[in-house]
Amino acid sequence: MKSKPHILVVDDEPNVLVTYRLILQQQGYEVSAAISSEEAREALSKNTIDLLLCDLSLEKQENGFDVIDFARQKDPNMPTVLLTGYATQEANDHAAEMGIPVLFKPIDIRELLETISGLLRENYEQHEATG
Amino acid sequence: MERSDEIFAVLLEEIVALGHPRALVTRVDFETSEITPIASLNYPKNGVQRYRSSLFAVETPQVRILHSQEPEFVPGRGKKTSGIYYYPLIYRNRTACWEAERARGRKCVAVENFHSKLRLQLQDQVCGICEMRAYAAMVITEVAPGTTPTEIAELRALIELANRYLSRLFKVEHYHNRMVDMETIITQMQTVMESMTDPVILTDPQHRVITQNKAAERYFRLPEDVSEGRVRAVELNNLLFSAALSSMAVSGNDSSRDMTLVDAIEGDEVLFEAVSAPSFAPDGRRTGMVSVLRDVTDLRRADEELRANYDKLRQAEEVVRQDRDRLNLVIENVGDPIVVCDRDAKLALLDPRAQELLGTEKTRTAIHIRNQAILDAYITQFTYSFSDRESSPLQLVNPDTGLEVEYDARSGKIYDERGLVAYTVTVLRDLTAVRRLEQMKLERRMLEMEKFASAGRLAGTIAHEVNNPMEAIKNCIFLLTDQIKPEAAPVYDILKAETERVARIVRQMLGLYRSTAQVGNFDVNSVVEDTLLLFTRQLDRAGVRVEKELNVLPQALGSADQIRQVLSNLVVNAKDSMGPGGLLRLRTRLVRRVTSRDMIRILVADSGSGISEHVLRTMFEPFMTTKGERGTGLGLWIVKGIIENHGGKLRVRSRLGKGTVFAIELPAVQ
Repeated sequence: MKSKPHILVVDDEPNVLVTYRLILQQQGYEVSAAISSEEAREALSKNTIDLLLCDLSLEKQENGFDVIDFARQKDPNMPTVLLTGYATQEANDHAAEMGIPVLFKPIDIRELLETISGLLRENYEQHEATG
Repeated sequence: MERSDEIFAVLLEEIVALGHPRALVTRVDFETSEITPIASLNYPKNGVQRYRSSLFAVETPQVRILHSQEPEFVPGRGKKTSGIYYYPLIYRNRTACWEAERARGRKCVAVENFHSKLRLQLQDQVCGICEMRAYAAMVITEVAPGTTPTEIAELRALIELANRYLSRLFKVEHYHNRMVDMETIITQMQTVMESMTDPVILTDPQHRVITQNKAAERYFRLPEDVSEGRVRAVELNNLLFSAALSSMAVSGNDSSRDMTLVDAIEGDEVLFEAVSAPSFAPDGRRTGMVSVLRDVTDLRRADEELRANYDKLRQAEEVVRQDRDRLNLVIENVGDPIVVCDRDAKLALLDPRAQELLGTEKTRTAIHIRNQAILDAYITQFTYSFSDRESSPLQLVNPDTGLEVEYDARSGKIYDERGLVAYTVTVLRDLTAVRRLEQMKLERRMLEMEKFASAGRLAGTIAHEVNNPMEAIKNCIFLLTDQIKPEAAPVYDILKAETERVARIVRQMLGLYRSTAQVGNFDVNSVVEDTLLLFTRQLDRAGVRVEKELNVLPQALGSADQIRQVLSNLVVNAKDSMGPGGLLRLRTRLVRRVTSRDMIRILVADSGSGISEHVLRTMFEPFMTTKGERGTGLGLWIVKGIIENHGGKLRVRSRLGKGTVFAIELPAVQ
């Protein structure tokens, strides 16, 4: 277990991306930021990511689920939070199937931080249990 | 004359007392001219009969002396008598009778006789003034033999004295008789008066009552058992009557007056017409008034009733006319064809639209005739049926377009006072037009829903676009926490609060369109309980009482979270509209439907300020708020959106100052 959990933030809005990174860094996390699914895949390939924070709507062709699927291929238990401003019923159902919590923008930052820490703790405890 | 005759017996006795053997008195009957003995003394039973005579027997000493008016001694031969002394007794007097005295300058027969030196006209012995028939009689004395002229003079003086008494007596008797006559007349007059049912009153010139009949006493004389009210009534009657008399006497020519008197016995008011005529004495003096009161109460009442009835008739006529005009107006403006038929199902009245369908005699075509045949068949059947009302579809053809039109014929019967059918009225509703109207209504409704949906989509799009920049701003604000200089803190707080508000608006706008919430079966009652639990403290603080009536319900299909949001919105609104002492009522129940899905009804009722009609019209549109800065103006818009997304209905009723009721219906799981 590393000293700092590494979080990957994916959002196609640069300012949103920057502010999330700053907030999470302020909270003591190690943060990587990706503005596109391409960058996200790159970051996932290069680094060991402890938690994926991904916006649903990315570029036109791809969405957050593509990034999530990629990450889960690497680590099926990758703790993930889906962020969205506008979710369809299918997206919602899909997230629920995959056991991924959905946070709606505008996001209550406290809720975001609680969700992240909760997921990390859960994942850590599972690792401990499985060994 | 019987009384005055008594003096003759005395006279005859006095004559015999003077020493004369016998004497008798004869009298003239002016009507028959007969002279008849009326009293005698010392004559045998038939001894006086030879003095029976007639005025025309002028050759007899008796008649001759009567005419000459001078007493005369006719000597004769006999054992007991020296002759006969004739003395004519004629009614004469030095003073005129009373009546003649009153009628100054006119002479009474008595005075005329007294002064007359001429031969008396016996036929004229009737007083021209008092109409008294004078008397003419003869005292016939058989003078005793050896009677001296002095003794004759003595006899003459005696008879003269008797005549003076006689004439006075006669006069008295005459007046007595006159009085008796007058009393008879008065009695007769009184009988006449009494027999009249109308009050009759004789008054003196000072309008004091001289006499009145019983009918009048009822009004003008105090009854025996006087009550104060009656006394007043009678006094008032008298006052009214004398006032009327005075006014009639003054105006002179006006001889009738109306006055209302009070019956002293019954207490009723009676309207009288008083007809008065002055009464005069023979000398022309006015002696008073004779008044006859005619009870015209019934007459006037009848008159008034007649007038009132006439007015009523006029009014009724007017009402009928107005009704008819109004009915015509209605018929002309109803817009549907109306057909009125009589009891034999024959056309009585058609409105212009019905005329278009059935045509007039001049314009009738085959289509008109066909329409009429269909209508006739239907109306005839209805007229002779036992039902009061009937409706039936009729396929008629529009004569202008030639197209078939479906009508809904509705008919009713009008009965006369005997309960027989007088008329039937049939209104034809153009179902095609009704359906067209319903279609238009549906289209308008769908258009409204589309408008609502597109407004929602637009809002969603805007919110989505605003969302990301706002996310960045919000994050920046978070990052700046604890890095703000104390003097900038208030500005920072405003920035934070306003951003929160924008975030809230965006969240609500997006909330409507992201159907993320769990959809499934849920229990409405527990959603209601949850919501109330959430607001318990707020409602307590506001002093609002809560009443809930939650009935057993089947499950509802939808999002419990969204319904919770709906109820929260409504509860907060209700709380805001009420002051302390307000009452919030929540009620749920199942509404069973035969033809469609059963519905769960949720009522949220408050006793608050109510919603004005103006606000009611616009309150479901976005950004309408009555709460100023505190509200987003989206609450009810979202409520409506959620309910409609659930396939439910939302209705609201409100009365200013009384409160508001929101009724939600959600489909129940069957």
